[in-house]
Amino acid sequence: MSDPHSPDPAELRTWLLGAARRDAAAFRRLYDATSPRLYGFALRMLGKPELAEEALQDGFVAIWDNAGSYDSTLAAPLTWMTTIVRNKALDLLRHSSHALEIDAGRFDSEVLEATRDAGATPADALAMSRDARKLAWCLSTLEGMQRQVLGLAFFHDFSHSEVAQQLALPLGTVKTWIRRSLERLKTCLAKGELP
Amino acid sequence: MNLRDKPLLRDRLAAEYVLGTLKGQARRRFEGYLHGDAVLRRLVADWQDRLVPMAELAPPRQPPRRVWRGIARRLNLEEARPGWQFWRSESLNFWRALGGVSTLAALLLVAVLAGGVFERPQPDFLATLADDKAQPALLLSADSGRGRMTVTFVGEMSLAADRSLQLWAVPRQGSPRSLGILAAQGTTTLDLTGAALGADIAMLAVSLEPRGGSPDPNGPSGPILYKGNWMRVL
Repeated sequence: MSDPHSPDPAELRTWLLGAARRDAAAFRRLYDATSPRLYGFALRMLGKPELAEEALQDGFVAIWDNAGSYDSTLAAPLTWMTTIVRNKALDLLRHSSHALEIDAGRFDSEVLEATRDAGATPADALAMSRDARKLAWCLSTLEGMQRQVLGLAFFHDFSHSEVAQQLALPLGTVKTWIRRSLERLKTCLAKGELP
Repeated sequence: MNLRDKPLLRDRLAAEYVLGTLKGQARRRFEGYLHGDAVLRRLVADWQDRLVPMAELAPPRQPPRRVWRGIARRLNLEEARPGWQFWRSESLNFWRALGGVSTLAALLLVAVLAGGVFERPQPDFLATLADDKAQPALLLSADSGRGRMTVTFVGEMSLAADRSLQLWAVPRQGSPRSLGILAAQGTTTLDLTGAALGADIAMLAVSLEPRGGSPDPNGPSGPILYKGNWMRVL
């Protein structure tokens, strides 16, 4: 049940509310607790460290500016912050002239890595929240290609047709797979406990 | 198109909105619906809870320090540091004053030794903690051989019954480490651990705390009253 290395959502919420009151020390703690995973995420999306640094910086400036409108009944703190950093990364992606290197297989290995026995990869498994481990498990129940379709869309902001092009699949197939994969994920996540 | 009576479609659009595959005109239209439809916003939030943890599958990486410096600069946070990081914003005057204190500390040590405050002391580290006017208030004496340290108030100190004084070692990086709670008068003897004498210690500090010590395990919650640093004694 415990997540020793993943930040405690209650603590994050306290710091986020502190940031909303313009408490810079609370904001700094929020940054220290969450920046490694948000930076890792931005790096995964953008590929280049200089772009990922920019996305993280833009993201935290927006987190400070918008902390007052954070609604704790609507989203967990890390989910809210990740969404902001993701949007900043997507802005950079759209305006960047850098060619993005897509490695579709990497997402697959990350999912499978994450579903391994926590004892086998203690550091990574413990760094992950329970929600993420659960999601990884549910993703692992999908077919490999259907999993990759979701990964390409989420990490690279691909449209249906871009996913189809990347994986050399018919557009109709991609649309169907995405719809079914999302439905299966929803059902799997609703089941509660980890296997 | 009226979305309200199409629950399956609403859920699917919310999912693809969060995943990112809802694009262009369709995405803008969906955002238009979101404004006036709290139930639809709830569906989006539920899908964010489901899908956004995918971000954690990417391995965490420590960002370079310049990222935080850039954030602090853009938001003008330079002045608003955690309370215990006082020395970063302080002028050279404090350090100059501290130089004077160190000389004084040597004299104090002689005085304390002569006064017999310590029982057979063989201190190898010594520190004087001074107030904000650089007036010495506390003398610390560490005996690493015996693993003990003593903290002696030089003068009188009045402390409310619901308050405690807490001694901290502040490292160059990371959170301050508590070394213990001090008696408001006379001498307190504390265990001397690696936390107190590490090479990375930038500062010793005493903070005013609620009775029993800071509720925050990561550092002082109250104001810093005294500060100083170790000197090696031969």
